[in-house]
Amino acid sequence: MKDSPSTTPPPTKKHKQTPPANPNQLAGNTITRGASREQLSARRKSAKSHLSTLSPHQRSSVLARYHGTSGRTDLSTHRLRNLRRDDDNEDTSKLSSLQLRNLQKRRGRSNPGLKRQTLRRETKRLENAMDALHAEEILQTQRGGMIEVENDMERTTQVTQEKLKNGMLEENVARNVYDLELGEYSPYRMNYDRSGRYSVLCGRRGHVAVIDQHTMGLRTEFHLGETARDACFLHNGMMMAVAQEKNVFIYDENGVEIHRLDAHKRVFGMEFLPYHWLLATIGHGGFLQYQDTSTGLLVSQHRTKLGPCHVIRQNPFNAVLHLGHTNGTVTLWSPSSSEYLVKMLCHKGSAVTSVAIDRSGTYMATGGGDSKVRIWDLRMYKETHSYTTYGGPPMCLDISQTGILGVGHGCHSTFWKAEALKVKVGEMYMRHESSGNGPMESLRFRPFEDVCGIGHAGGISSIVIPGSGEPCLDSMEHFTNPYMDSKQRREAEVRSLLEKLSPDMIALDPDTIGSIEESNIIQRQQRLRNMAEEADARKAAEKEEAKNKKEKKRMRGRSKIAKKLARKQKNVIDENVNKLREAREREKAKKARQERGENAGDDVDDAPAALKRFF
Amino acid sequence: MKVKALSRSQSSTTRSTPSDLRPLHKNLNPTSHPLPRAREYTRALTAAKLDRMFANPFVGELKGGHVDGVNCLAVCRTNLLPVVSGGVDGTVRIWDLQSRSMVKSLDAHSRCVSGLVFGNGIGGTFYSCGEDGLVKAWNCFPQSNYGKGDEEGVDDDKRGSARKPTAKGTLHNHKRNSSKSNNHNEQESSPYGPINTYRLPATRSSHNSLSFHSIDHHWSFPQFATASSDSAIHLWDPNRSNPVTSFTNLWGSDDTVTTLRYNPAESDLIAHCSNDRGIGLHDTRTASALSKTILGMKSNCLEWNPMEPYIFVVGNEDYNAYTFDMRKLNRPTGIYKGHVGAVMSVGWSPTGTEFVTGSYDKTLRIFNVRKEAGTASHIGSSSTGVARDIYHTKRMQRVFCTAYTSDHKFILSGSDDTNLRLWKARSSEKIGQLSAREEASLQYRSALVQKYAHLPEVKRIAKSRRVPKFVKKETQMAMLQKEKRRRKEENVVKHSKPGTKSFTDEKGKLVVKTVD
Repeated sequence: MKDSPSTTPPPTKKHKQTPPANPNQLAGNTITRGASREQLSARRKSAKSHLSTLSPHQRSSVLARYHGTSGRTDLSTHRLRNLRRDDDNEDTSKLSSLQLRNLQKRRGRSNPGLKRQTLRRETKRLENAMDALHAEEILQTQRGGMIEVENDMERTTQVTQEKLKNGMLEENVARNVYDLELGEYSPYRMNYDRSGRYSVLCGRRGHVAVIDQHTMGLRTEFHLGETARDACFLHNGMMMAVAQEKNVFIYDENGVEIHRLDAHKRVFGMEFLPYHWLLATIGHGGFLQYQDTSTGLLVSQHRTKLGPCHVIRQNPFNAVLHLGHTNGTVTLWSPSSSEYLVKMLCHKGSAVTSVAIDRSGTYMATGGGDSKVRIWDLRMYKETHSYTTYGGPPMCLDISQTGILGVGHGCHSTFWKAEALKVKVGEMYMRHESSGNGPMESLRFRPFEDVCGIGHAGGISSIVIPGSGEPCLDSMEHFTNPYMDSKQRREAEVRSLLEKLSPDMIALDPDTIGSIEESNIIQRQQRLRNMAEEADARKAAEKEEAKNKKEKKRMRGRSKIAKKLARKQKNVIDENVNKLREAREREKAKKARQERGENAGDDVDDAPAALKRFF
Repeated sequence: MKVKALSRSQSSTTRSTPSDLRPLHKNLNPTSHPLPRAREYTRALTAAKLDRMFANPFVGELKGGHVDGVNCLAVCRTNLLPVVSGGVDGTVRIWDLQSRSMVKSLDAHSRCVSGLVFGNGIGGTFYSCGEDGLVKAWNCFPQSNYGKGDEEGVDDDKRGSARKPTAKGTLHNHKRNSSKSNNHNEQESSPYGPINTYRLPATRSSHNSLSFHSIDHHWSFPQFATASSDSAIHLWDPNRSNPVTSFTNLWGSDDTVTTLRYNPAESDLIAHCSNDRGIGLHDTRTASALSKTILGMKSNCLEWNPMEPYIFVVGNEDYNAYTFDMRKLNRPTGIYKGHVGAVMSVGWSPTGTEFVTGSYDKTLRIFNVRKEAGTASHIGSSSTGVARDIYHTKRMQRVFCTAYTSDHKFILSGSDDTNLRLWKARSSEKIGQLSAREEASLQYRSALVQKYAHLPEVKRIAKSRRVPKFVKKETQMAMLQKEKRRRKEENVVKHSKPGTKSFTDEKGKLVVKTVD
């Protein structure tokens, strides 16, 4: 793919006219700095053509590396277009004459050296990105789990947990299939930490327990004596937050209460944003609150104005929070904006019961009271397709690291392959029944393992879903290594605190940081205004059109008896109508007179009957 | 039906014994690493902060210092350790850089020592010139047969016949040896010299008030040049007590030459600054000047770039330093601003990429000559023309002499407060051997800062320097003045007849006149 930079200079016009006698002599005299422009553009072209032959997934991966971003080019193209437009019609009124002169000078001059340098760097970056993709394919030898059918008669749904436990899986994987019957404090919720090593169980009636999934041992367990609505780990498995009857409490690994967060009242759901060290809660009051768990400060507090809210989930791609409301809308929030960023009506006439977002931040699945699981493309904020659940509305949703969609509805949980987010697939991947324990309270995939934990009225079920876990660990990503020892954990704590992101970096487009800002604020605002005006004008035009449109002559229903009578009624001279008409005309005439200033002397007529004798 | 689920073996995830290395995993998939930009930016910000946190440029003073202001300073071109300094009171002191202590104090001159320079051999011969009208040769590595004097020390300087000293140890050994012997009369019996004394032949005029202003040694031949108050330049052979050649009234004026420097590459080229605000070039073979440029104000110091010897830098009274290309003296190639006092001295880094200036405003500044920068602390200002770093202490007074050590890691400064100070050339650099991991992380950090240097927060932190209140105020004043001048020029151009007045850039304004 790469041409080696040639030492001989490219043929130029001059050389063509007078070919030198000794080519070696020429090469000695001419200094070539790297590849020439022609060579570079040829290399770039070949790299681009190679890129177009890759699969969409590979292409996006290459582009992510090429741009040094998360690879969502749809966000940056918009920004770039605006920048170009700004650059084309720049506001020069504020510039001094010297600046203006320099600007014009710069505009007139093309910089071939800079162009070549840019081309060289871009080409090199693109080639490096392609190489990185190849390296990834070669170096990552870990393969994920899977179920493979051997003939047409077999279905993946035929694989049940009993079958998996009894013989289909290795011993150390099969031990992940278990049920914990904890009826006394039910219903239960279960959450994993980022590494998937620890899980926290939270019984509604006040039972909290932490289980080490490696040793299958109980790490800590305590009874609160009051309602516990939700529990989640903070940055690692050593600390957790529990939403209790009144407040949120933070406990350490031994179950010792460390903090009581007074500001968070009657919380229903919590999410921890690991890169920002923020604990976000939502509850009865509909207040979304962000608490910084490293400094202890309440970062921001937003009134959603949409009533009590149970559904909260973060978008791992940009750390934006998605709230599902009882009126069927989903709103997107960041700590820096007191208004929602986006509001989507996802389920008409029924509440949003659960939300899940995939790791790339492209797809969102919402479950509603209308027994639908709708899949949304977050690039367009549009629904792409939907699935219907039978046996109860979807109460809990989760999307695994590899993209497997898990739905808990009624006493069932069903699992769909990663393609189900992109296109509508007819057949589910796996299913699991917890008869008599419905409805499902929580469903979470365990990170880095093919395991899914389900919390329900009977307790906890842990099941194996082959292919749901990310096979490759990463020791450099803090707190995601399930096998880290205490020293590594301590180091990760310091390092991740050093790299803590500021809360105001949370935005829909996570790549705005470090990119070029749209230069002119005034122009940007003008552009926004124009857009709004355009939209208004379009709406007005539509309205006008609707008004002017002739009513269709519909034959059907013309002979309905009520309509016939109504039509007849139009011709009947009604006494009351006549009276009203006259009164209106009088009123009109009077107004006209008043406007002409002729009201003097006419007071007698206008005066009420009781006052007429005074005139 | 084939079923496979993830299962990781014990050996791939945990180490078997505590002495083992921990298994490392790497996931190359970009979706496993969310928010890449924000995280990298935060890391860059932290790196910029760490760089400033570790910035501690002052290494220490050289112990046992002068009793009067330090006027001149010379580092050896061939040896790392010896440094000599000359004071206003006429003493010359020899220093050992390794132990940061004085080796020997010599009562060299009866008046201020105006110039010091090392010879180009490895013998450690150096020459001092004073305002008392004497040039003396000394030796900082005294030989055992010191009494004989003259030829021995000089011999080392001869090209091609450089002889190693017989007993070469650290400077301290010599100090110990010598301290026994110089109890009584140091001037005569000191092993350090003077090896030789040179004076100008007595003339009718102004013999008594004659003084030397500057001295420089040739880069390859045993030859040195002096500038003296009789507005002449004299070339000397170390073996002869009278000047070999004398040049007087060469540059269209009989103003005194204050500084002169041999070109490192061209063996017969001398550049000089003179009291008539001029800087000029002179060919010693032709007895005529090559070219001369008159600037707006007087230049105090001049140094050739050791790696690109067609470039030299001058420090000017107008608070700026200027680099010139010797082929084109009508226009400086760079203007280096920031000082709020006259620039008294400049010193090139041996790499030729940066130089340090010492100023009358009691600060040192380090300027990049090239835009490409190496380490994070180079980021202070990515552009040239603005100092990448400013060094000052509470006690340091007006700086008269500065020099880089020849390993380009340290800077020496001598100031009015009688102290010689040693600074790190890169303020946040760690002294000593780095482990591979340390080095890798430092490189990563500096690359990060470079990548995000254009972002306001990173730039602000990387650029921030605490400066004395006086300097800060004066800088603000200078900005105001500059803005006023700019506005005035703009108004002049705007309101004069079109085509009659036009903008001239700053480089074009500097040179008053050129003389050929």
